[in-house]
Amino acid sequence: MKIMLQIGIIFGVCWIGEGISMLLPFPFPSSVIAMIILFLLLLTKALKVDHIRLKAEFLQKNMAFFFIPASVGIMENFDLLKENVVPLVTIAIVSTVLTFGAAGMTVKYLMRLQEKLRGGKEHDRVDV
Amino acid sequence: MIEWTSSALFGILLCIFTYEIGLWINKKAKTPLANPLIISVILVIAILQIFGIPLDNFQKGGDFINMFLAPATAALALSVYSQWELLKKNWIPVVGGALVGSAVSLGSIYGMSKLFGLDDVITASLLPKSVTTPIAMELSTEAGGIAPLTVAAVMISGIGGAMFMPFLIKLFRLDNPVAQGVASGTASHAIGTSKALQLGETQGAMSGISIGVAGILTVVLHLIFFS
Repeated sequence: MKIMLQIGIIFGVCWIGEGISMLLPFPFPSSVIAMIILFLLLLTKALKVDHIRLKAEFLQKNMAFFFIPASVGIMENFDLLKENVVPLVTIAIVSTVLTFGAAGMTVKYLMRLQEKLRGGKEHDRVDV
Repeated sequence: MIEWTSSALFGILLCIFTYEIGLWINKKAKTPLANPLIISVILVIAILQIFGIPLDNFQKGGDFINMFLAPATAALALSVYSQWELLKKNWIPVVGGALVGSAVSLGSIYGMSKLFGLDDVITASLLPKSVTTPIAMELSTEAGGIAPLTVAAVMISGIGGAMFMPFLIKLFRLDNPVAQGVASGTASHAIGTSKALQLGETQGAMSGISIGVAGILTVVLHLIFFS
């Protein structure tokens, strides 16, 4: 589908996300609402991957580019960054290690459990 | 002549060319440390400083680019959808892993922030740092944090996670590719995913899914516990 329409679809979903975000009684990022809407549209086949592929791939492949202006804003907070550099780096690294371990181990044990349960079921069937 | 830089085109051009330089250096250097975003940001700041160009002039173009952050986040839906079959088969471990990981991330950051005696603004800036940048930025600003500080923490988490990934996999004995992928995406978002892709296709796909899943779960946990 034409790139203009693809941009229109993605921007449209984002705009609807902003509207829903305003209606919600609690703060919820509109971009995440848009992501959920887009996912549901794809899942229900209301939208085909081809309807948004080019635009979505463009956005994803260049994702980091869109953060440049926001990151350059660090210029104005340079003193704050300098004062807190030790806790900031420590917290970022330690929590990354803990998060990595917690997520990985949970998956590992849940998959073992799942296999055991599935294995158990099959075993039952054999017994019957 | 400094007025010349107040055109939105100036900021956009500066971003495009510094980013291209960043991509080029990244290709040559082949280490997560030579991150294109970091290189670009350093170059932009250096150019603004050297020529005495006001940040506001640069941000006229910057505002235009910022507008694409939400669409870029929404586009994550496509990567989750394209791995739907894989996700359906493993949704319990994936969602479980991303949930526990996100909770540990928020909890450990909150605990350490208290330990270091950081104020509320900096704590709010750090809390969402494990998720992908656009979601982290939005959570941070909504909670009164400083977005650029959040971006810095997000980058450190991504680069740190990607660099130490082989070591972390050994440390936590993650022999399973799904576990490796979910851990990577939950802890180190897109930068982790590019490293996970090098480990294997399943790791990369699982890491990509986990960026979106952990993003949503972190938003929900953040909402319940911190607002």
